[in-house]
Amino acid sequence: MCARRTRGHAIAIAIAAADRPETARSVARVTACALWGLETALVTVEVDVANGLPAFVVVGLPDAAVQEARERVRAAIRNSGYEFPLRRVTVNLAPAERRKEGTGFDLAIALGILRASGQLAVDVAALCLGELALDGALRPVRGAMPRVRHAVARGVSEILVARANAGEGAACGIAAFGFVSLRETVDHLEGRVRVASAEVPTRAPEPTPAVDLCDIAGQETPKRALEIAAAGGHNLLLVGPPGTGKTMLARALPSLLPPLDDDEAIAASAIHSVAGLADPDHPVLAAPPFRAPHHTASHLALVGGGSPPRPGEVSLAHFGVLFLDEVAEFSPSVLDTLREPLEERAITISRAGTAATYPARFVLIAAMNPCPCGRFGDQAAECRCLPDAIERYRGRVSGPLLDRIDLRAHVPRVPYERLREERREASLAVRVRVHAARERMRDRLRGTGRRLNADLTVAEVRRFCRVDEDTDKLLADAVRARRLSVRGFHRVLRVARTAADLSFRDEIATEDVALALLLRGE
Amino acid sequence: MKALSSDSEDYPRALLDLRDPPHPLWLEGDAGVLSRRAVSIVGTRRMTPYGARVARELATAFASAGIVVVSGLAQGIDSAAHEGALEAGGISVAVVGAGLEAFLADSRGRRGALAQRIRDSGALVSEFPPDAPARTWTFAKRDATIAALGEITIVVEAPAGSGALITADEAHRLGRTVYAVPGPLGARTSVGTNTLIAEGRARAITSVPMVLDAMGASATTLRVDRDPIGARILEALAPAPADPDALARRLGLRPAQLTTEVARLVVSGEVVCGADGRLARR
Repeated sequence: MCARRTRGHAIAIAIAAADRPETARSVARVTACALWGLETALVTVEVDVANGLPAFVVVGLPDAAVQEARERVRAAIRNSGYEFPLRRVTVNLAPAERRKEGTGFDLAIALGILRASGQLAVDVAALCLGELALDGALRPVRGAMPRVRHAVARGVSEILVARANAGEGAACGIAAFGFVSLRETVDHLEGRVRVASAEVPTRAPEPTPAVDLCDIAGQETPKRALEIAAAGGHNLLLVGPPGTGKTMLARALPSLLPPLDDDEAIAASAIHSVAGLADPDHPVLAAPPFRAPHHTASHLALVGGGSPPRPGEVSLAHFGVLFLDEVAEFSPSVLDTLREPLEERAITISRAGTAATYPARFVLIAAMNPCPCGRFGDQAAECRCLPDAIERYRGRVSGPLLDRIDLRAHVPRVPYERLREERREASLAVRVRVHAARERMRDRLRGTGRRLNADLTVAEVRRFCRVDEDTDKLLADAVRARRLSVRGFHRVLRVARTAADLSFRDEIATEDVALALLLRGE
Repeated sequence: MKALSSDSEDYPRALLDLRDPPHPLWLEGDAGVLSRRAVSIVGTRRMTPYGARVARELATAFASAGIVVVSGLAQGIDSAAHEGALEAGGISVAVVGAGLEAFLADSRGRRGALAQRIRDSGALVSEFPPDAPARTWTFAKRDATIAALGEITIVVEAPAGSGALITADEAHRLGRTVYAVPGPLGARTSVGTNTLIAEGRARAITSVPMVLDAMGASATTLRVDRDPIGARILEALAPAPADPDALARRLGLRPAQLTTEVARLVVSGEVVCGADGRLARR
């Protein structure tokens, strides 16, 4: 009796041992990273493979896409030549109290299961990001760059991602390994294949600007306004009959802007990464982004939204230019959503359960016709709009929005003789001035995190925008005659500061203030 | 709201010259202003910036001389004339082409505010019952009433077929002197006024003091001593508004050379910087 019982016991132990090889552990841990807007948090993917009825459960507040990871992971593991354990598989995404979104957890879950079931011989210390295809191929995910940056800050030293995401990872200064499939990832981890870490990607070559300033004849005042907008980050409204070059002027703006510095480039690229717009070969932007949404754009498209909240055009234009052509054709309620980002330089999108804050530090360039028929003020054509219709048309751009636009320039039809004129300043020459002016601003604002005159606080305006007595009198007259509100007063001084910076002057001269007053159009 | 019957004390005598005087005349505001000396300034709704400036300048000059400015409170020239009069602190009377209640219910926004200001210092009048809606014929009848109220009638801008020409014809019939502002040949908005002058039915206005003289009033504008470039800028802006580049070209200067002086004129209110970024004389 006794011997039999001993033998049965030994068999039970042997079965258990065979089932759980030496290298396997019951709980495997792999690091992933969750993303809400631009906010990130490291997530530990814990996988437990235990006896019981075959089941596959994901806990830790997964959203629908994470729940579906079960099906992708199961198929990918099987189709990569591994066994999907016919036991009770429990996946926990810790910390468990916040909702996890998206498909980026697939790779971490799959590696966790392989590790917990003993099919992967080593622990995974790296950050794993990637979506799995049913055949085991590894797909890139949105928002790799902010997640990797977060992981780097938390001391993670290498990452495993899809090949198309490797550049984004490497750009964050970390050893980034890009793979095409789950199989390749496992082979790399177990040392059978040696995949080299991705090289730090070069910045995208600067695109040749579509328009150079010297392509545009005449238009001295609008060009001057454009230069001030480029240097100081002031918003600009161009008004003029159709076909006079408003769009061309706006499209020439990128040719005046200096390239992004490293911090700006990473910050802007991170938003593009979240939106899934990153170029795999050159994930880091070089030139300031230029976004030109069509006038049928919705709230969601312009300021962002959806669930989970995605960045809108205002955020994709971060550190760049947002160009609204035919601004009066935009829905007035859509335009008014711009007020918050223009003031706060960021937009917070709140949805049930989630809120995302995206930065939106852009220069707004808007263009519109002077009246519904477009011919008001055109010497070459007669406008047939009634005064009330003109007023209604202009009223489509609301007062509060106009108040945030510091520069207003009329773009007239250029007489033929001027079209033939040869002597025109090229963008490069203006860009040199813009660059120098920006250097002066940067020195002035060192340590504040702000870089442009448009962002000067009221206290800084008082400190940096001193004017002489004569100029002060001009401003005082303007305020007294109610041509200028207090907000307008500060805005005029900021623009005057930029005009002086473009002329390499420390002191603001009367003509700078005069120009600012005229361009404000009050 | 008051209804003035044609035999009442306050009923303006001038209206009795009409073939069919309004009876009663509905009124909001001060009935007394209707018996004061008045000038009628009318013109098209689709005005040019030049017309807007001239209408405003004429109204301002008459109002400063203590003469009531009568018009029809339509958009365009009418509104510019009312605004010019009120801006000078003068009195204005609006003869509207609908019942007063119906008119006030319909006009919101800028014209509603203008109607309020006219009522506060002057008067809104109508010959139609308060709830009568506007019709084509009500405007034509109203145009004749405007002609009767003014000692003289000025047509600032009118294309062919404009309602302002009805006012001119009626004024002519009533024996009131009609003046018209001559406009550029080929400009649609000046076809009517130029025709009035050509056919001898209206006198051409050559300057603001000239029409003031005709009413025995004199211009009381102060001549501000201005540096020559300021005067040249105002002169260059007289025919039409201009963008800064075109203005500089007209004066043979670079835009940057003009900036300070133009800004001073804007601050002093002699030049306005329009919503479209163009500079215009006031």
